[in-house]
Amino acid sequence: MPKSNLIGAYVAAMLVMLVFTLPILWMFMGAFKTPVDIYSIPPVWWPDFSYLENFKLLLSENWQFLLNSVIITLGATVLCMVFALPCAFGLVNFQFRGNNFVADWILSTRMMPPIAAAVPLFMVFNGLGMLDSHFALILVYAGFNLPFAVWVAMSFFRNLPKEMIEAARIEGCTWFQTFWKVALPLTKSGIATVSTFVFIFAWNELLLALFLTSNEAKTFPVVISTFSTITRTYWELVSAATVIQVLPPIIFTLIMQRHIVSGLTMGAVKNG
Amino acid sequence: MGQIELQNVTKSFGPVEVIKDISLDIKEGEFVVFVGPSGCGKSTLLRMISGLEAMSGGSVSIANRDVSHAQPSDRQIAMVFQSYALFPHISVRDNVAFGLKIAGLPKTQIDAKVAKASEILGLEKLLDRKPRELSGGQQQRVAIGRAIVREPAVFLFDEPLSNLDAALRVQMRIELIKLHASLDATMIYVTHDQVEAMTMADRIVVLCDGRVEQFDTPVALYDRPQNTFVAGFIGSPKMNFVKAGPGSNGDVVLAGKVSKTLPGVNADNMTAEMTLGIRPEHISYSHDTGDWEGIVTVEEQLGSDAFLYVDVPQIGAITVRAVGERGFGRGDKIFLSFDPSRCHLFADDDQRIN
Repeated sequence: MPKSNLIGAYVAAMLVMLVFTLPILWMFMGAFKTPVDIYSIPPVWWPDFSYLENFKLLLSENWQFLLNSVIITLGATVLCMVFALPCAFGLVNFQFRGNNFVADWILSTRMMPPIAAAVPLFMVFNGLGMLDSHFALILVYAGFNLPFAVWVAMSFFRNLPKEMIEAARIEGCTWFQTFWKVALPLTKSGIATVSTFVFIFAWNELLLALFLTSNEAKTFPVVISTFSTITRTYWELVSAATVIQVLPPIIFTLIMQRHIVSGLTMGAVKNG
Repeated sequence: MGQIELQNVTKSFGPVEVIKDISLDIKEGEFVVFVGPSGCGKSTLLRMISGLEAMSGGSVSIANRDVSHAQPSDRQIAMVFQSYALFPHISVRDNVAFGLKIAGLPKTQIDAKVAKASEILGLEKLLDRKPRELSGGQQQRVAIGRAIVREPAVFLFDEPLSNLDAALRVQMRIELIKLHASLDATMIYVTHDQVEAMTMADRIVVLCDGRVEQFDTPVALYDRPQNTFVAGFIGSPKMNFVKAGPGSNGDVVLAGKVSKTLPGVNADNMTAEMTLGIRPEHISYSHDTGDWEGIVTVEEQLGSDAFLYVDVPQIGAITVRAVGERGFGRGDKIFLSFDPSRCHLFADDDQRIN
């Protein structure tokens, strides 16, 4: 490619990147602005980063909701994986009448928008006395992510060489041992990928949390939504809260990134 | 322990019957090879013995115990796969010890058994490596090591050498023969390579289209193939087939010209249309005299042997194996004669007559 074209490509890439990152940058700046700075014209381009009042105010009043988010998100991720992985392993490895149907049926539940279930879920949990509880949200988040998790897990279990599973069976493994000692260690990267997706979904979910919680189990996204009131929107708090909100997914993804690499099964079977 | 009995075993995938009523009796300590062309069902049959594939009908017993419905882990078997199927996430040592750990043996015993197996297979220096750091031959050795530590009643090999290069394959073949001699265990070995089958087996099962065509010693398969399939499959180059008909006095007539008396053939057991088989190495050839005159169309010179592809107008293309022969080239005239005592005669249903 000629050099001039290359420069053009870089400029175009920078422009596109700006479009996507500018709102995030502006939000990040906003988190360090005073209420006056937020509304001042001309805008304050470079805030004083030692001004942490927004964060202090936010965390002192809402730390328990942040904790709720952490508990519910981790709980939902773990619960979802506990069910999805054995289910996917079974659907891939057990030949039984209708296993394709079951797999398709699981996927079809994904087609329903979660909000369609909000009212029924509200009534169910209300009847069970579980409204505004951690467990209810964990259950709902895990449940809504199960189809996706099962399907992605199925694809990586399917990529495991069949002989590997058979070798484990011949060596005396029960199905559970085959799953635990062979299939899981060999699909770490896939598991990391799925759990990252489930984590991010559960962490960012707002609508169902709004429906099913009021105070005890309220999650952080719900808190952010309360900063927009009828009289004014507290942009400095929204910004600070959003900064906190986006951090865990970034950290989680960075931790998992190490595992989200393929090639773990290299050397297992001779290629070609 | 170690004998295997298959009774009326069948297998269907949907409407397709891939194994058609097979019964076999494999003795303890025997090295049996399943051989046949691709898709003949040899691997499926092995997998049914291992329990990895369910049978559609019939029964399998190993060491006098009916294991038709037993899990693979309950059959006292070990299996070596074509792809080796080593566990890539654990070391060679853990791979070899895998089955013993699953069985819950004490660590001292596991260590002793792993040490013994790795000594037999020369794996001592590789024990702490991961499978991906090994060459194909070494990986195969580890897979065999994983099989022998458990001291199973039966070893199953599913084309274990086909991923290796030619030189290594010959070496591993010899090692497997030695291993069988030293372990004295029953082994079943699947291959499509007839050289492996002939050199390794005590007895060979020749399979075609889900049926056992013949189950016999390598020499018997070569000397007395029971039908045209086995006759054509065993031996390289392939046996020559010539159309034959009955003559007078129990003679066999070829192309209406040459009539011969074959031992064990008489007017009663002949059919109207027959096939005469003669191996390339059993044809005598000459520059000037013989029953058939032909032209050499291709000469394949191997040094030790020359394969001469001869076009004989009356009976078609004939392959001749000429040991150490240098005297014939392409286009040369050649005379051929068949030794009646080395001829195989097959009836119109392809079954052996003599």
